[in-house]
Amino acid sequence: MNKYIVILSAILSLSSCTGNFEEMNTDPNKLTEVGQREMPFMFAKAQSSASMNRSFYQTVQNLGADLYAQYFALTSTSFATDRYVMTRDWQRRFWSVVYVDTAPQLKSILENANPNSGEEALANILWVYAFHRLTDHFGPIPYFGAAEANKSIPYNKQQEIYDDFFKRLDAAVSNLKALPAGTTVFKGYELMYNGDVSKWIKFANTLRLRLALRISKADPARAKTEAESAVKSGVLTDNSENAFLDKSSAGNDTNGLSQVAAWNEFAMSSTIASYLKGYNDPRLSVYFQPDITSGKYNSLRNGLSATALGIARNRPAQNSNIGTYWVLPQADKTFAPNLTAKFHVMCCAEAYFLRAEGALNGWDMGTETAQQLYEKGIQASLIQWGANSETANQYIQSAALPSAPDDANNSPAVASTPIKWASNVTIQREQIGTQKWLALFPNGMEAWAEFRRTGYPKMYPVVQSDNPDLPGGAFIKRFPYPPTEETNNATELEKGRALLGGADNTATSVWWDVD
Amino acid sequence: MRLFLLNILLSISLFPGMSFSQTSSQRTGVVTDATTKESLPGVSIMVKGTQRGTTTNLDGEFILPASENETLVFTYIGYKEKEITVRGQQKLVVQLEQSTQNLGEVVVTALGIERNTRTLPYATQQLAGGDLNEIRDNSSNLLSSLSGKVSGAVITTAATGPGAAARVILRGNRSISGNNTALIVVDGVPYDNTSYNQATGTTSSYGGSDGAANVNPDDVASINVLKGPSAAALYGSRAANGAIIITTKKGREGKFSIDYNGGVSIDQPNLLMKFQNNYGRGNGGVYSPTAGESWGEKAETYPNNVKDFFEIAPSFNNAVSTYGGTKELQGFASYTSNIVNGIVPGNRMDRNTANVRVNTNFFPKLTTDTKITFVNQKIKNRPRLGDAGTPLEAYIMPRDMKESELKEFETIDPTNGQPIRKYWTTSSIYDNPYWSTERTSVNEERNRVTALGSAKYQLTDWLSVMGRISYDRYNDKTDGSFYSGTVSLGDVKAGGKYYETNTSYWERNLEGLISGNNTLSSSFKINYNVGASSLKRVFSSVQSMANGLTIPNKFSLSSATTPAFENVLGYERQLNSIFGNLQVGFNEYLYLDLSARNDWSSTLPAPHSYFYPSAGVSAIFSEFINLPAWVSFGKIRTTYTEVGNDADPYLLNQRYNFALGAGQGFISRDGNKSIPNLKPEKTRSYELGLELKFIENRLGIDATLYKSNTINQLLYVGLPMASGFNRQYINAGDIENKGLEVMLTGRIIQSDKFSWSSSVSFSTNSNHVIELAPNTTQVNITDNTKYATVIVKEGGSYGDLYGYKWKTDANSGKYIVDARGLPVVESNQKLGNFNPDFQLGWNNQLSYKNFSLAFQIDGRIGGEMVSGTDAYLSYFGLTESSEKFREGGLILDAVTADGAANTKAITAQQLWTTVSQNGRDAWGEFFTYSMTNFRLREASVSYNFDIKNSFVKQAQLSLLGRNLFFFYRGKAKLNIPGIDERTIPVDPEAALGAGNYQGVELGLPPAVRSFGLNVKLTF
Repeated sequence: MNKYIVILSAILSLSSCTGNFEEMNTDPNKLTEVGQREMPFMFAKAQSSASMNRSFYQTVQNLGADLYAQYFALTSTSFATDRYVMTRDWQRRFWSVVYVDTAPQLKSILENANPNSGEEALANILWVYAFHRLTDHFGPIPYFGAAEANKSIPYNKQQEIYDDFFKRLDAAVSNLKALPAGTTVFKGYELMYNGDVSKWIKFANTLRLRLALRISKADPARAKTEAESAVKSGVLTDNSENAFLDKSSAGNDTNGLSQVAAWNEFAMSSTIASYLKGYNDPRLSVYFQPDITSGKYNSLRNGLSATALGIARNRPAQNSNIGTYWVLPQADKTFAPNLTAKFHVMCCAEAYFLRAEGALNGWDMGTETAQQLYEKGIQASLIQWGANSETANQYIQSAALPSAPDDANNSPAVASTPIKWASNVTIQREQIGTQKWLALFPNGMEAWAEFRRTGYPKMYPVVQSDNPDLPGGAFIKRFPYPPTEETNNATELEKGRALLGGADNTATSVWWDVD
Repeated sequence: MRLFLLNILLSISLFPGMSFSQTSSQRTGVVTDATTKESLPGVSIMVKGTQRGTTTNLDGEFILPASENETLVFTYIGYKEKEITVRGQQKLVVQLEQSTQNLGEVVVTALGIERNTRTLPYATQQLAGGDLNEIRDNSSNLLSSLSGKVSGAVITTAATGPGAAARVILRGNRSISGNNTALIVVDGVPYDNTSYNQATGTTSSYGGSDGAANVNPDDVASINVLKGPSAAALYGSRAANGAIIITTKKGREGKFSIDYNGGVSIDQPNLLMKFQNNYGRGNGGVYSPTAGESWGEKAETYPNNVKDFFEIAPSFNNAVSTYGGTKELQGFASYTSNIVNGIVPGNRMDRNTANVRVNTNFFPKLTTDTKITFVNQKIKNRPRLGDAGTPLEAYIMPRDMKESELKEFETIDPTNGQPIRKYWTTSSIYDNPYWSTERTSVNEERNRVTALGSAKYQLTDWLSVMGRISYDRYNDKTDGSFYSGTVSLGDVKAGGKYYETNTSYWERNLEGLISGNNTLSSSFKINYNVGASSLKRVFSSVQSMANGLTIPNKFSLSSATTPAFENVLGYERQLNSIFGNLQVGFNEYLYLDLSARNDWSSTLPAPHSYFYPSAGVSAIFSEFINLPAWVSFGKIRTTYTEVGNDADPYLLNQRYNFALGAGQGFISRDGNKSIPNLKPEKTRSYELGLELKFIENRLGIDATLYKSNTINQLLYVGLPMASGFNRQYINAGDIENKGLEVMLTGRIIQSDKFSWSSSVSFSTNSNHVIELAPNTTQVNITDNTKYATVIVKEGGSYGDLYGYKWKTDANSGKYIVDARGLPVVESNQKLGNFNPDFQLGWNNQLSYKNFSLAFQIDGRIGGEMVSGTDAYLSYFGLTESSEKFREGGLILDAVTADGAANTKAITAQQLWTTVSQNGRDAWGEFFTYSMTNFRLREASVSYNFDIKNSFVKQAQLSLLGRNLFFFYRGKAKLNIPGIDERTIPVDPEAALGAGNYQGVELGLPPAVRSFGLNVKLTF
């Protein structure tokens, strides 16, 4: 019988042997904790995601804000967003970009970085950049509880979110300025300025200026304070300081717009065609390329029905794709994407136009007048896109007006906004809005936000709206909340909707969009 | 663990053998098959109430000492047990009847322990190997062939062509984030049945194969289905969902024989959707040559253009087995070749299986069983299913597109001779389906070796010890080639894309088992097993990615412009266990079963341990209660079982991922939140069964009631996206399954020339989500929200489908339309549930002289599916329903939001493009169908040749058919006023994948109908 006991005890002792279980249950292919070593990689991830990488560009930006900014119009019948039909799942994707792909990385840096360090400052600046795009799309969003692992996360008022934006930017700039001259942060990893702190300061201040103008109707006093502080601290003034993001063919980090353009499903909108053609704008041939059938710069209107898109003149081959910076035409009439083209995050021209508008508001925007800032903005943009200063100066003095874009709808000129600085303040605002919009190209997200705020540039209404909330002539005001919030954050969503001041649909304006 | 085995072996050798004293007189006899009169070698014969026994030799003969009035019990797998009491005969002539599903047979239960079903306290169902190796499913997956044959099993086969994965659900779904399919056990050892890359949504995917697809039906001797978790005490938590116990063939003592089984079949597409055949490409009734849609003018159409894209696919199955042996050594060897073509062009599977098994008995008390099986399975050109899948690309071609136009899928670039994709319309989503079949290719090859060795030593006549080692290993290589210009993948870079994924998996199980039985008194007998095992599983997978090839379309890793290692995955896990069971028998009619198991799992936090017991009672009341004469057998049984379950590896620590990108690359936190305090899941189940047989066992009924509750379940719940996580794991919940399984069997006609036996199975399962977690009332099974979200909601049932529903007016009950006269919907409404309410199966075997006819009709009642295919076809103006109101004039019988009657006329295009939301984001209710269906699943006619004095001993020729036709298919759940009733356009039992994501389909290939010819020869 002893033998059986031996066997049994052997069985028992060996079976319950769990000595190496902890080690065995640690994934060798993943990191299970992150610290200082991982911070630069996490910052780069946040940069790539916040500016919309390839995986999300089409559904989150190109089929949304890029169309609503009327830079492009859809030639494809595969999508209906150009007629304002919402694809609810795509709203979820934008949230995923900001909350899951961006915020946790920044939060981790904020937790691991030394207080008041350059790393902390950069993380805060990028945080504001990522979240302002999201709140501008939706209005109130879960913000102060973001990236906290809770089962429900409250929504916050856009006003409070903007307040936090300004505080973060202010603190970040102070901390960066306190660093020794020539300091770099995340050098070798950081994708915009390779860690150059002096440029990050200007980027942060320009972002602050942008946000200040954004709330200039909703909270004029705060707007003035923030804008003046930003300008005083130093904003982007030279094209050499433009924020361009490195892209890579490795992984899934290519230029999203280039990839989308190669599919040839959208083309030049008649709105931008009316301005660029009418102005004889040198940027026409940079922003767009001749269509592959006629060799002319052709456009179509936003919001065409599937039937209208069947008309020869509205088909992809008869309209202008985006310029050769993004896609190169091939012999077989297809397009090859320039996947590693640097992605334009923010340019100095925008800063000049923001200051010009501020100056018109009577704010202290530096020594230059509104006109000087307006003209410097034009110059910066034209030179950025390859024109020489002589061409730029001629353009500034040009008496040209927007023209009929020569499209299938026989659309008239979209507006009569002159280039040459007008004497009337209202027209001056329109000019600033229009030229800023032209300079922002192809940043549809910022352009659509500013169009909502200012009403500029003047645009064609969509030819057909298939969204009952936006009947004839109305422009889209925001995106409805993603359906996942109904299942995963329902109670807070209801409170969030109450903060909207209107229905959770595309017709309700966000807080800063005051008419 | 090696030490432990050694220990056992050492112990064995120290025991002197005990000899059995022969006191009775020798009886001889012969055992034959009652129908074929063939002698049966290897039949087990025991003298009832003793340990004396033997087996028949090659000629079915036996010699056994037995006294007068002792009862001999004859048992043989696949045959009914027979008892004969010795009353003076010296020579016994015994005929055994083949059993289909009946009582009193020997079945193989957990760990390969053979038990008489009389004594089992739980439900089992036995199938003979011959039921599965003639009529084959196009998936070539053994489990798909079980459809309609096993009461209570819900079998769903992924529509990914030959080698597809199959999902077998016994007694309902219980696990939300884990596995719900039954465990496969081959010859006493769990057989890995992981299915890779199963669809979790409608995004296009290449669903992988599963482990069960590697089982060669020709090597299967019998299958025993344990429907409840009763095997779990011995196999562990993997058996919590029931077990399919497969016993393979082995050599027998006797003459050397050769079996040949050959079959050829023709598999053809059975296109179930109805297309419109009047209108060509365009929109708004206007022709446009570049339109993707068929809302254009009346045109010459090509009604068979879609059907002609799919192929009529031949399949060839050839199996040769040889077997024979002596008393000391028996061998079995087989080779099988399965060549199965899919109906999607280019899709094909080649599977070669070689199997060798040797059983020895050289030493009186030592028996060994050694088996090695090698499988090579190649699947070429797996079809891409779902959105941008190949079948969908074929379905959406305009009705006025003829084959010759579709076949112009490329032009040649004169500068480099490479193909350039051609598509009649611009698209960032689709390619020409021929481009997809010719210029994109995903291939899969698996080499799998399964080895098993066991040795059993009879220590005394009442105690034996067994050691077993099993090793199951497979290496998979998947490669994908995509020509430059392919858009349907979404990410193919210039030059083209190529990848290779190398996956390896192995599991090794060491096991020791001590088994004994004792007669305590003339009334009490006990059987018991005590064992221990150690199971180790190791997985690794690396994908080498070459997206962007320097030499265009040179599909080699060496041509990569930016080589990358993506999806580097792997795990190692171990499960140590001790277990035991005890059966107490009283007077051969009352049995008590007890079992217990403790597991230590590496995937759980310390102390890693969990315990689970079971208990069962069975009583053959016909032996002690006087029943009417026409009741020949009666048994009642009940069990209570608990099963614990561990979890996947690596859930305890938060994970962060590295990915290539600009700069030095990216690190990001995983979107799934970890669970440091992970607890084991627990399932508690009860079962109550009744077996009755009437009129000399000609009629039988076997009914089982069951209830199970899964608690502490590992839930994978959605978090608010703002939390920075997509999901988190929590332990919570209580999911209940209750149901009834009934099997009626009858030998309705039984005469010398003609016989008809028939069985009817009925089952129903109802699932109830009693609770989830505090603050969590709903869990989505996957993230996919297209068409419908598949959810588990408190108060609802597993697999509820939620999505957009047409809003109705509270006052009038009428549908609501907007100012344009188009439907208004509300989100997050219940559309249905993917599980059937009832299942019915009717199997028949008729024989007349040498002819036999078999057929199976089965059906499912209830359950809903949202058809994404239908949404796409509706968006593109291709369905028959889209034909009416093309010119307008449809005024939906509805009201506007303020209650006024709708007066706005709309066109068919307005209606269908609105409700289908570009096809991709359709409003679910408009495309929800009942999955109810009845079909003639199988039919065969066979002829057995009379052969005498030939080297061919037996010959059988069969004509076979599978999936022949539907008697009924479900209808749309929503009848749109003014539009005719619609019928489900796809096979309701087909699926995108074999995972827990069910109830939504998109772009499945057509149903497959097969006709075949089969020959069986024995030499």
